[in-house]
Amino acid sequence: MSELESIFNRIVKEYSERLYWHVRRMVGCHEDADDLLQEIFLKIWTALPSFRGEAQLYTWVWRIATNETLNHLRKERVRAALRFASADDLGARKIEGDPYFNGTAAQRELWKSVARLPQKQRQVFVMRWWDELSYEEISAITGTSVGALKASYHIAQEKIKLNLSDSEVSK
Amino acid sequence: MTKKNDISVPEGYFRNLEQNLSRIPQQEVRPTLMQKVSPWLAYAASLAILATLGNFIFRQSSAAPAWEDEGWDYISYLSRSLDPDGMIELKENDELTQEDIMNYLLASNISVEQLEQTNYEEDY
Repeated sequence: MSELESIFNRIVKEYSERLYWHVRRMVGCHEDADDLLQEIFLKIWTALPSFRGEAQLYTWVWRIATNETLNHLRKERVRAALRFASADDLGARKIEGDPYFNGTAAQRELWKSVARLPQKQRQVFVMRWWDELSYEEISAITGTSVGALKASYHIAQEKIKLNLSDSEVSK
Repeated sequence: MTKKNDISVPEGYFRNLEQNLSRIPQQEVRPTLMQKVSPWLAYAASLAILATLGNFIFRQSSAAPAWEDEGWDYISYLSRSLDPDGMIELKENDELTQEDIMNYLLASNISVEQLEQTNYEEDY
């Protein structure tokens, strides 16, 4: 086994599960998360020879994962637009149709509200709320300042609160 | 609201996932269609740019000189060049006469000998 292969296997062991949960919460369903995770690790493998070690391995791996996830969401948005469909509705349908979602009705509403957020806000919210990363860690991964991240998180929280209260009212 | 336990995965998923992902280095990475055709697209684009540029330069260098243009008034051009201060009164559509030329030569402080030479030549 080459040195690169052993580094790759270490990355798989250390990060695959954690990245799965992140990707799953970003894309909304198990099937998409599984496909995307394969693509992310393929990207990690092809980019590994160019990893110079200036960034921490942890930050580098997360950066690839978050970039690939945002690309995936962008492509979905374009595909939805070409079909004259709303990407928000598509996200909500995926959450509804996921057989591995076993949360409460309130949790489902939370997921749908998160799926309606703009991509960057969604990313910050998922990384902070569910992945429990610090603002400093998120900043190192995304290259966004801590101040901007705090502002994005605050706006995302406010939108989610509003969405959840609206859905309560409509019931 | 609790954060966890809202989603699950199929039985044994992470064990299989690790095995599947560990096989990636052994897989042949197939280039995408875009990766396959992009060198050829770049080659075709370079050729197109060169052809366009070459055509442009050729057209510029082989364009007919101004005096070959039918609409170009040679007399007006000549009079403007020779008489920038408008010493010779040359109205539009006026023909340049021998007298006009003589006036011009006189105004240019041309020597009498040279003028005589002009008259001499006219006689022949």
